[in-house]
Amino acid sequence: MANSKITLNYFDIKGRAEIIRLVLTWAGKDFVDNRISREDWPALKPKSPFGQLPYVEIDGKVYGQSLAISNFFAREFNLYGKSNLDGLIIDQVAQLTEDFIQEIVKVIRAADPETKAANQKKVQEEAAPKFWGFYEKLLKESSGQYFVGDEVTLADLIAFDVVTGFVSDFTLPLPDSYPLLTALVETIGNNDNIKAYKAKQQ
Amino acid sequence: MASNSLKLFYYDAKGRAELIRLVLAAGGREYENVILTQDDWQTEKYKTPFGQLPVMEIGGKKYAQSIALANYCAAECGLYGKTNLDRLNIDQVVCLGSDLVSLATQAFHEKDETRKAEKMKNFAEVEAPRFFNMYEKLLKESSTGYFCGDSLTLADLFIYDQVFTESKWKTFKTEGFPLLNALRKLVESNEKIKAYLATRKPTEF
Repeated sequence: MANSKITLNYFDIKGRAEIIRLVLTWAGKDFVDNRISREDWPALKPKSPFGQLPYVEIDGKVYGQSLAISNFFAREFNLYGKSNLDGLIIDQVAQLTEDFIQEIVKVIRAADPETKAANQKKVQEEAAPKFWGFYEKLLKESSGQYFVGDEVTLADLIAFDVVTGFVSDFTLPLPDSYPLLTALVETIGNNDNIKAYKAKQQ
Repeated sequence: MASNSLKLFYYDAKGRAELIRLVLAAGGREYENVILTQDDWQTEKYKTPFGQLPVMEIGGKKYAQSIALANYCAAECGLYGKTNLDRLNIDQVVCLGSDLVSLATQAFHEKDETRKAEKMKNFAEVEAPRFFNMYEKLLKESSTGYFCGDSLTLADLFIYDQVFTESKWKTFKTEGFPLLNALRKLVESNEKIKAYLATRKPTEF
């Protein structure tokens, strides 16, 4: 993987691709961050494995599904813990996040403005506190400052993305009442690679 | 190395626990299959990590999220491929299949009756076949009959469970998907799966 050529294809937004960008950036792995306009997407669509974005090209082969891709790069770059139990802790965070995202999807796909507003309110008042609470609980149960003890894994990057990425566009700002989650987001954000990457996105 | 003791908690149903049961069966792994009634659930709810089932107790600690649990069991049972690329291929299938589950859930939980009927119809007639075609394509590319490599993995069990495990609400039409149907035969002829299915109690869901 150290010598592999990686191209990530997605729209010019954070969305579902940001976690992949964060994993590769954290790992210090070069990749082509191909940001596609909405107009150019139809022409590219036949090249994607499942007719969707994001998809990656790794040494000429294409793969889809953002979580599958994130998992792969995390495993390749030592961001997946050391045991199957570490993997389970990481996957719990990933799957909880998928559930959280489904609540966001209800806002995006709402059929009319009333439903959209109602679903948006539910995200802010119910889903966000619920899922932030789960992350906080898991961090509290951990033996260290990260989800898997003292080592940064994909789970921490996922939580960082939830609080700073597209999900946060639909929630209120993270309140003080989640101190461990707040501290985690700050720690991840202070990483040199992440700082440089964020600066480039301005 | 001694393996952790496993306890699976779920309702008296196949539902979101069945994949885990299939994986453990295929892996020949012992576990305690704890069935909770609706009454049990009223008190047990507060002892779960995230207020939902299934839950597994592994070495005395509780974990949840059915896909996370299925991944763990698959890894423990040697059903998660041999390389990271294998796992990418398996995860692709499981994530793709999970998208179809999300569409089903969104349709099923629609509160407006007219919209719900439309969504359910669209799910059965458009979305499910669209995903089955993608599964056929992946099976064709693999060419071994299995989704990943030349032996049974989590990917095969996930799709088998999604498409063929009987449930009151499922109305999938699977004619016209030859490789999917061949996968069904392959999974059901696995000795350990065959033995498990032979003694599985029928449930509505």
